Amino acid sequence: MITEVGKDVVLPILKGFLLTGKRLFRDKSTVMYPEQKRESYPRTRWRHVLARYENGLEKCIGCSLCAGACPARCIYVEAAENTNEERYSPGERYAMRYEINMLRCIFCGFCQEACPTGAIVLRSDFELADYQREDFVYTKEMLLEPMPVQSER
Amino acid sequence: MAAAANEPQSVILTINDIEIEVPRGELIVESVKRIGLEIPIFCYHSRMKPVGMCRMCLVDVGFKQPDGSVRMMPKPQAGCTLPADNNMVVYTDTEKVRRDRKGVLEFLLINHPLDCPICDRGGECPLQNNTIFYGPSTTRYVEIKRHLPKAFPLSKYVTLDLERCIQCGRCVRFTEEISGDSQLAFRFRGAMMQPSTFELTDFESRFSGNVIEICPVGALTSAEYRFRARPWDLQTKPSICLECSNGCNTWFDYRVASLVRINGRTNEAVNEEWTCDKGKFGQNYLNSPDRLTEVFVRDGDKLIESNWATAFQQVSVAFQSAGSKCAALVGGKASNEDIFMLKRLFTEAFGSNNLDHRWTRCLPKSDALYRVATSIADFENEPVIFVFGNNIAEEQPILFLRIRKAWFRNDAKVIVACPEACEADTFAHTSLRYRPGTEAVLLGAIHRAATGAGGVDIAEASSITGVGEEAIRRAADAMKSGFALAASRSLLDLRNGEHVVGALSNLTIACNSSEKYNLFATSANEEGARQIEFMPSAEGKNTREILEACASGEMKALWLLECDPLSLSHDNELVTKALETVEFLVVQNHIKSECVQFASVLLPACAFSEKDGTYTNLERRVQRIKPIIAAKGSAKPAWKSFGELLLRMKGDPPPFHAHEVMQLIAASHQKFQSAIYENLEGEGVVIPANQSTEPQAVDVEYTAMEVPSNTP
Repeated sequence: MITEVGKDVVLPILKGFLLTGKRLFRDKSTVMYPEQKRESYPRTRWRHVLARYENGLEKCIGCSLCAGACPARCIYVEAAENTNEERYSPGERYAMRYEINMLRCIFCGFCQEACPTGAIVLRSDFELADYQREDFVYTKEMLLEPMPVQSER
Repeated sequence: MAAAANEPQSVILTINDIEIEVPRGELIVESVKRIGLEIPIFCYHSRMKPVGMCRMCLVDVGFKQPDGSVRMMPKPQAGCTLPADNNMVVYTDTEKVRRDRKGVLEFLLINHPLDCPICDRGGECPLQNNTIFYGPSTTRYVEIKRHLPKAFPLSKYVTLDLERCIQCGRCVRFTEEISGDSQLAFRFRGAMMQPSTFELTDFESRFSGNVIEICPVGALTSAEYRFRARPWDLQTKPSICLECSNGCNTWFDYRVASLVRINGRTNEAVNEEWTCDKGKFGQNYLNSPDRLTEVFVRDGDKLIESNWATAFQQVSVAFQSAGSKCAALVGGKASNEDIFMLKRLFTEAFGSNNLDHRWTRCLPKSDALYRVATSIADFENEPVIFVFGNNIAEEQPILFLRIRKAWFRNDAKVIVACPEACEADTFAHTSLRYRPGTEAVLLGAIHRAATGAGGVDIAEASSITGVGEEAIRRAADAMKSGFALAASRSLLDLRNGEHVVGALSNLTIACNSSEKYNLFATSANEEGARQIEFMPSAEGKNTREILEACASGEMKALWLLECDPLSLSHDNELVTKALETVEFLVVQNHIKSECVQFASVLLPACAFSEKDGTYTNLERRVQRIKPIIAAKGSAKPAWKSFGELLLRMKGDPPPFHAHEVMQLIAASHQKFQSAIYENLEGEGVVIPANQSTEPQAVDVEYTAMEVPSNTP
């Protein structure tokens, strides 16, 4: 009886404590979010960004292929024509309006895959919570990468 | 098929080991479609002559020998230039053909830029599609591609991207064979060959929009549609065009509830697949900020926004107190349903017969003068066509294309009488350019020359009209054994319009072709309004009398549906006076017009893209439109508002759907019985003409009219 209790109850408890004891001396795997953030994987797909070239021009040409590829139909693109006075992107066409509804987005990354210029990229910023539904429609201004600092043309 | 079998003109050939019978001379590219296959093409177009420029349609061809073996040709043949023949053996999908197609596409893509993402054609591009299905997956060409101007404005509507051109010649052939203006031609040779206008002038054509649609790449694109959307952003619904009375079938492409572009929709009986530029580029009013979207009622000097209930209240009080002293006028964009319900409202609720849809200066009572006997498609097979009066390419562009086709394909003799130079002159058998105002004299002279009696003396007429005697005799010679008349009701705008039209009728009777007399409507549903008899009955007043009665203060209330009298009437002074004087004016329209300032009540109506209904084109073809985008603001279809008003005034149950209105129309107008909505899918239904007695010759004064020099 006593031996059975020792084998079935005491021994597993001791084993458990032993395991815990061993782990005490290892590195911790939890982080103190939100003060600390874990490094993300290089191919993480979170918040979209509209990239720029080094000279500051937008990579997006407003071709709407992302909208066509999007399974959630959450992208809306309206294009317009560049002029020499007002140039947004190299070539003839640029996106006048570019909107993503983040509530609909399923972060599949098809838009990134479809983009012929590598303009839309899903990066690692994952803190997308907000209070108003309307605020989840990200406009082109919100999505665009900030201007590179050295671009003085 | 049984009928074809008896015809000696058919041949039997084998395509991919399937034996089929086709008419002799049919091109292989068409025969292949009979067994449900498709040969990739670029330059071939079924409505134009084959040229074999792109070599995309290569097929393997051989012939059955007397001993039963098949001898194949050593090289592949172009399916678009090869007519079918007996004993022919065709293979469309052999290893050799596949390799050849790959080669052709590789060649075409050598100089074609890969800017598909920004190309307006991307997504609906035959070159893209053929490359995906038949082309190589990569290119071996590493050298620098041809560089030419991009986005070169060929005209206000058409933009040319020379880099993308694959030199198929469709656009050039279109302007030569279909529209006939020969505006485009190829310049230079080889890889530098480019379509352009002569001397780089503007591409001026009434049909320039079609080259955008037939271009198999994105070389010719619409300046208006440029970069506005990609094909997958758009939703497309069938519609019809209301810019003139031809009733062309169109595809209505829209995005987020606003029109983006209009494309031609195939209807062999009407527009084949073409559109004119007016119809293709002239519909932007649908998105205009001037659209009427709310109800307004007058309060002193200004119109204040209101609601339907208030407006109905005011309208019913005003029109009931006016009694028979009220009138209604409609324009060309009101549907059959709108017109019928308005007529019901006036005759049943207001007890007035002062209704009219005609805006011409002369308003003849005789129904026979308004006859239309020949359908658009019939013109193709008419041997002699008499085009009289105004520039037909301007007024009836699609009918003009048919008449040109009759000349181009069937060598029809087209006699053109027009006071100014016009497109139809270019293929006219005889061109009679008369002095404005001398229409009746010219017709009298032709009458005399064709019949030897009646009319006016030819020599005298020649000096009055300025048309040579020789030309008059030549025209009469061609016409005396019968002709089809193509004239429009705008002739009635002439001061002596009734005589001119009477002279035309007499001429057709004299030449035994009164069953080919046509006086075509000029606006979209003018013919529909005539068929529904939206016209004054015995005691009613016609347009002119209505306006005069309004101006004199006799008429108390006037209803204007879908019309702006200031732009429709020839007498703006009278119109202004009438609109100012009339006590109560209802303006119901889809867009604000100049007469809004006089309105007592302003009612918003749905435009054609927002409502259900039918329109009757110039050959009495009833065609259906369906609501495509949501009504703007509180606008509603006009027929619905009339139904509601009838309910309010008489307690009649209102129709809830447009098809119920059509049933009512069919119940009161026998000829509309075939036009109920179930029958209107496809090409529409041509309703029968009024049963009229044998047309009688009318008394006509063959005299010239003095035309003020300032009129154009």
